[in-house]
Amino acid sequence: MLDRRAILGAAGVLAFPAQAYSLPPGKRVMSAMMFDDPATLCYPLFNTRLTQEICGNINESLLLFDWQFKPHPNLARAFEVSPDGLTYTFHLRDDVLWHDGVKFTARDVAFSCGVMLPELNPRSRSAFQHIDNITTPDPYTAVVRLKQPFNAFLLSLMASSAPMMPAHIYEGSDFRTNPYNLKPIGTGPFKFAEWKRGEYIYLARNEHYWRPGQPGMDGIYYRVCPTPEQRMVAMETGAVDLAMADDIDTVLVSRLRANPNIETVTDAYNGTSEITIMDLNMRRWPFSDRRFRAAFMHAIDRDFLVKAINFGIGKVATGPIPSTAPYYDPKVLTLYPHDPARARALLDEMGLKPGLGGIRHRFGIMMTPDGNGAWTRGCQYIKQALAEVGLDANLEATDWPTQQRRSGNWEFDCDCNSYGEYGDPAIGTSRFYVSSNIRKGVPLTNLQGYINPEVDRLFAQAAVAVSHQEAQACYSRLQQILTYDVAMVWLYERLPVFFYNKRLKNVIRGPNGPSDGLGATTLA
Amino acid sequence: MTAFARRFFSRPTALFGFAAFAAIVVIALAAPLVFAAGPFTIVGMPLLPPGSPGLPAGSDVLGRNMMVGLAFGARISLLVGVTSTLGAIGLGVLFGAVAGYYGGVVDDLLMRVTEFFQIIPTFVLLMVLVAFLEPSLASAVIGIALISWPQVARVVRGEFLSLREREFVQAARVSGLSDRSIIFGQILPNALTPIVVISSMMVGNAILTESALSFLGLGDPNLLSWGNMIGGSRSAMWVAWWTTVLPGLCIMVTVLALNLIGDGLNDALNPRRRR
Amino acid sequence: MKPRYIALRLVKTALTVIAVVVLSFFLIRMAPGDAATVMAGQSGYADEAFMKSLRAEYGLDQPLPVQFWKYVQAVAHGDLGTSYVRRQPVLSVILERLPNTLLLDAFALVVAIAGGVWLGSLAARRPGSAGDNVVSVLSMVFYAVPQFWLGMMMVLLFAVWMPVLPPFGIETMGADYVGLARLGDVAEHMLLPGVTLGLYYMASYARLTRAAMIEVSDQDFVKTARAKGISERQVSRHHILRNALIPLVTYAGLQASLLVGGSVLIENVFSWPGVGTLAYDAVQARDNPLLLGIFIVTAILVSLFNLVTDIAYSIVDPRVELG
Repeated sequence: MLDRRAILGAAGVLAFPAQAYSLPPGKRVMSAMMFDDPATLCYPLFNTRLTQEICGNINESLLLFDWQFKPHPNLARAFEVSPDGLTYTFHLRDDVLWHDGVKFTARDVAFSCGVMLPELNPRSRSAFQHIDNITTPDPYTAVVRLKQPFNAFLLSLMASSAPMMPAHIYEGSDFRTNPYNLKPIGTGPFKFAEWKRGEYIYLARNEHYWRPGQPGMDGIYYRVCPTPEQRMVAMETGAVDLAMADDIDTVLVSRLRANPNIETVTDAYNGTSEITIMDLNMRRWPFSDRRFRAAFMHAIDRDFLVKAINFGIGKVATGPIPSTAPYYDPKVLTLYPHDPARARALLDEMGLKPGLGGIRHRFGIMMTPDGNGAWTRGCQYIKQALAEVGLDANLEATDWPTQQRRSGNWEFDCDCNSYGEYGDPAIGTSRFYVSSNIRKGVPLTNLQGYINPEVDRLFAQAAVAVSHQEAQACYSRLQQILTYDVAMVWLYERLPVFFYNKRLKNVIRGPNGPSDGLGATTLA
Repeated sequence: MTAFARRFFSRPTALFGFAAFAAIVVIALAAPLVFAAGPFTIVGMPLLPPGSPGLPAGSDVLGRNMMVGLAFGARISLLVGVTSTLGAIGLGVLFGAVAGYYGGVVDDLLMRVTEFFQIIPTFVLLMVLVAFLEPSLASAVIGIALISWPQVARVVRGEFLSLREREFVQAARVSGLSDRSIIFGQILPNALTPIVVISSMMVGNAILTESALSFLGLGDPNLLSWGNMIGGSRSAMWVAWWTTVLPGLCIMVTVLALNLIGDGLNDALNPRRRR
Repeated sequence: MKPRYIALRLVKTALTVIAVVVLSFFLIRMAPGDAATVMAGQSGYADEAFMKSLRAEYGLDQPLPVQFWKYVQAVAHGDLGTSYVRRQPVLSVILERLPNTLLLDAFALVVAIAGGVWLGSLAARRPGSAGDNVVSVLSMVFYAVPQFWLGMMMVLLFAVWMPVLPPFGIETMGADYVGLARLGDVAEHMLLPGVTLGLYYMASYARLTRAAMIEVSDQDFVKTARAKGISERQVSRHHILRNALIPLVTYAGLQASLLVGGSVLIENVFSWPGVGTLAYDAVQARDNPLLLGIFIVTAILVSLFNLVTDIAYSIVDPRVELG
């Protein structure tokens, strides 16, 4: 690759000596990217992937999880679970300071888990509704008493779900308008330092971080980089070190993969285990008919969708629980292989015969505004696949405000989105299928209006099951029912790719990837 | 009429423009007959280079045949270009004629409106209109017509201002003809020459504008237009140049043909104005 | 005579700007969805209570004429409202980006005029020759090329196939150059977008120059100069060119309205952080105050620009140029 600076310098165009871009000496700073400024840096308030990744460095959780999803001490140096599964006792570290110097104590745990998180975060709400009370017998012990055993309780404490928030900042205030939402205070390896809107957010080293030897770097820049090509160029020129999930368009992944200076990680997001899906508004016919939904699934060649449209990134999904997640049971699933003939037969059976132009039924697919990226292409392919069995899908372009409004108010036929499991079906999966989570106006809920009392019962039972076998039995039956019912159109398991420049090491330490913070990262 | 045709076709560039445009129209009309499967049918793996078996222009980012997409794209461009121009001309003639004929307050009002369009960023206005009307073919046509009519109105107004004092108009007035029949029956046929001249340029501009809208993602997502193809290839361009280069060449050739026709019309209809 | 003319023009300009404010305000208010929808969407929270409090905060629950009057009062004090998305005052957001767009425009204008005049004068020197035809065809071609596509071709040529120029942004990210180094960095980033923007208008300037020069070349005073034995070169430069400049300047003045709106596409392709990308983002995010603010600022800028050029014309009388 020709060094443009050298050429232009030689041509006398630039009035300064051609220098290669390099770090200022003595400063070990890394850069990541963001496609736009986040609306807020209060993670519980608005947990998008972006805030997850930035706040992962600022806020921490009680526990860390390894590749097998086993819990390890973090802010909680030890914990016990009572034999009846109702009492969790967390012994907190006594040497942790919030970024403003105040000590981290059990009061913060009680406040976060008992008040702030359940109020703001739907995921936390459904997990922490099992909590009866939280007591703090001394400043470094928090005792959580559950109403009934909840076997996913520990997993619900993952940093991506339950970061600890400072009680002394938020207690008694209006969470949504608290000024610290834009300059967050946490306990993590990096603290919020500067936010230059439209340019970057800078996190500086936390000098008083409790983990010895961390953080390995002096600071992190999150630079605004609006388009995928721009982000790719930034990685290739070394202007930026880290490319997180979806930063790089799937079209360009192969180009970066081949770059000798860049390391590729494909399991950095296993903790989230997202599946790209389509919601079908079951309040509207024919989406309410199981046969229609089954025909929908049969019409789509999800293999081709992953291999060709998504350039090989991902894995065909077989049900509501991803294959990499606990409780996945391939034996009980009803599968829907690509079978246009079967799809047509089902539609015929329903009475949806081909009419004028061979069209059996017309409806709309509300697209996610991702700037002509992977989701848009997926929808375009699906429109084609559906057309082959006589279903005319009208693609509806939207912008974020419209999409949020329409999806929350159920003003759509189908939409396309990605839902994460976050370690346990009770945390990330149940919210889309239980009738109690049908809330108008709130995104990421049971938008389809799927109502099945047995499913409700099974999810409730599985969550409080004491033994793993009992939980597995429930989740197996659930997978059986949900896949038979085609309770959602599961397209593929996302395996977002994470790239980092080889000058760094220790970047990804567990299945939560960057959401666990980059404290351990150092120069290679 | 034949003198006009002779003058028009005597210019080699006009002839070339006419021939090229005719070819594009033929392609646009014939596309659904030749490529029955349509441009959306996925024929193979994405991003195959031109010259791959069955893919003379390669495949795009979804594995569709670029050649078919390009042919069908012509339909969108021509449809939007012609309809929006007709709309702009309709509106422009109406307002320009009324303003030029009556003068006074009506004329002042029109001038203020055209000034408004000259001062605000028209492309941003177009984006706002299309975004608010929900991106579709109809909103593109309406939007482009709405931002293009002022220039037509100005020209028509100018013509009417100069023509309304002529003897044949005075005579018509004296003989008791209504205003409406004077405007549309007497003056308008004489004022149309400049409109005809700029019309083909307007179609060309409308095509450029439509492709710009589609490029920015404000076009109809259910249709494949040239602008759409370029917009969808922004990342793909880095690994597959043909997805961007080919649709752009199509736009360029079409607009160039229209501009050459416009030049030819200008020369043919205004023989005094020699080079 | 002059002061009265200037005063009249100032009044007319003010009236037009006011008209722009009124029309734009109501146009943008007619759009479906409002601040509450936008901001609720951002927070991932859309319940009725929250939306109501947002509407009250932004004064959107009041009748339209009241909102309009409040807005006009605010504008008169230089307050263009607060951007829904960025939560910053609209005016400061625009003023931050405006220099970038003006810089790009200025560079493109220089490219367009310099290139256009050079090509046009080349063509005019020997009308009908092969060189003339080549220039004609080239300008026709550039006139027909979609701007955004031309930009992408430049990226393809100079960043993908021959990686010699940066294809995006205004500065190298993270390098934090200062002083002369920063100037060079910005200049380097400005090359591709500026030349692309300039090429389109270069075609127009070339044609204009050529036409004007040929027309003037036929006139008596030039023939006299030639008869006097003054070299062709001198004739070209001193007499023809200077006279051809008038339509050029007129044309450049007419382009004023493209100061902001004209660079939307180029800024988008090259991710140039100007008002064009700001407008595009505002449209996508339904950030009405920002959109309105951009309309108003553009209208004021363009009106001022037109006013200045008009005054300049009334001072610089063409007849002084000849002879």
